[in-house]
Amino acid sequence: MVAQLIQVGASLIAILALAWFAKWLGLGGDARITDTDHAKRIAFDTLYGFQAVDAAIDRAGYSALVKDGANRHALIFKLGAHFVARMVYPPIEGRLDQKFLTIDLNEADIAPVTLNLGEDAQYWAAGLRHIPNG
Amino acid sequence: MDKFPNPIDYAVPAFVALILIEMIIAKYRAPRRYEPKDTLTSLAFGFGSSIAGLLVGGMAYSIAMAGYEYRIMTVPPLWWVFILCFVLDDFAYYVFHRAAHQVRWFWASHVNHHSSQHYNLSTALRQTWTGFFSISFIFRLPLVLIGFHPAMVLFVGAINLIYQFWIHTEVIGRMPRWFEAVMNTPSHHRVHHGVNPRYLDCNYAGVFIIWDRMFGTFTREEEAEPVRYGIVKQLGGFNLLWSVFHEWIGIFTDLWRAPWRAKLNYLIKPPGWSHDGSRDTSQMIKARWEALHPTQEPK
Repeated sequence: MVAQLIQVGASLIAILALAWFAKWLGLGGDARITDTDHAKRIAFDTLYGFQAVDAAIDRAGYSALVKDGANRHALIFKLGAHFVARMVYPPIEGRLDQKFLTIDLNEADIAPVTLNLGEDAQYWAAGLRHIPNG
Repeated sequence: MDKFPNPIDYAVPAFVALILIEMIIAKYRAPRRYEPKDTLTSLAFGFGSSIAGLLVGGMAYSIAMAGYEYRIMTVPPLWWVFILCFVLDDFAYYVFHRAAHQVRWFWASHVNHHSSQHYNLSTALRQTWTGFFSISFIFRLPLVLIGFHPAMVLFVGAINLIYQFWIHTEVIGRMPRWFEAVMNTPSHHRVHHGVNPRYLDCNYAGVFIIWDRMFGTFTREEEAEPVRYGIVKQLGGFNLLWSVFHEWIGIFTDLWRAPWRAKLNYLIKPPGWSHDGSRDTSQMIKARWEALHPTQEPK
């Protein structure tokens, strides 16, 4: 029993030490969406063939909104050194605050995503009001 | 015969040392191979899995011992019997692993191992906490019923698990041709972790890739198409508990909402199946891709 407790404690210390070492080495990099083509490519790959015709990139490149010819929208956001994409379905919990558009996907592990879209924010907010179901 | 040393206890220091070496290599070659939060999540998976093993491993072993009472023969503990047991156990692992990708009940546990978008040695330690709950140990019961002692099966299973550690890396490209032909390698297993349509649902091997070659589930890694890792619907964060239980929560949510005639199918059909056709299974995604790329054979 004591040996097992020591083993558990040592494992815990090793885990924290390894994670700290990865951070100390500066691993992970700084993933950014570079342009609209990049956003469209991420959507195509991660949503298996989503054909984006238009895209808006967050000014920092951390997230993007894309839409296809049928006005279906998808949200792309940064997760560590990679990106995650989700289709956006109504009813949408969104908020427009001048240049900032916030979208809540209502998924347990995803916090609301705020995109700085500059002058395009209103255009994309309007587009979200007319997306089709499913 | 009742007890062998646990080889994993002896392997853990080597696991830690190799992860450190791989991190240093990543620092100079490709820093994005690691992400500290992802690494912490993967290692916490491994830690939780070992705790779960301590808590319920005894129960699984007791079930195996009960099954051993009904064995059709008693296999003696000779050296060549260990080799035979290892090979048969690896085949049992192939069957389990294929089922774990094709049956949502088993996938709910196994998904933990695949839910990182990174592929490095820490990913190898991303092990499930709910293996016992998903009754995945039943895939090894046939060996016990044949007459291999549960302690022997446990021992060779641990060796199998240790073998699979080193293949979770992008540092190694391809091994010599003869080795790639017979053994599971980093290249083959990268494909298994891939979410590119061409790489879905293949390379289920544990140690010997021959099972995939024999049963038509082998796909070669293509240099022209770098592997993207993870799951078809990637996790949206690094929350450990959500990462552990998200598919179980998904199953029980679907069971609650589905009409009665469809409930069972949410347990036994492939991940992504839905009674109203609103979602895609990996087979559907792959079939669409194959229809669009008729000249690019996925095998």
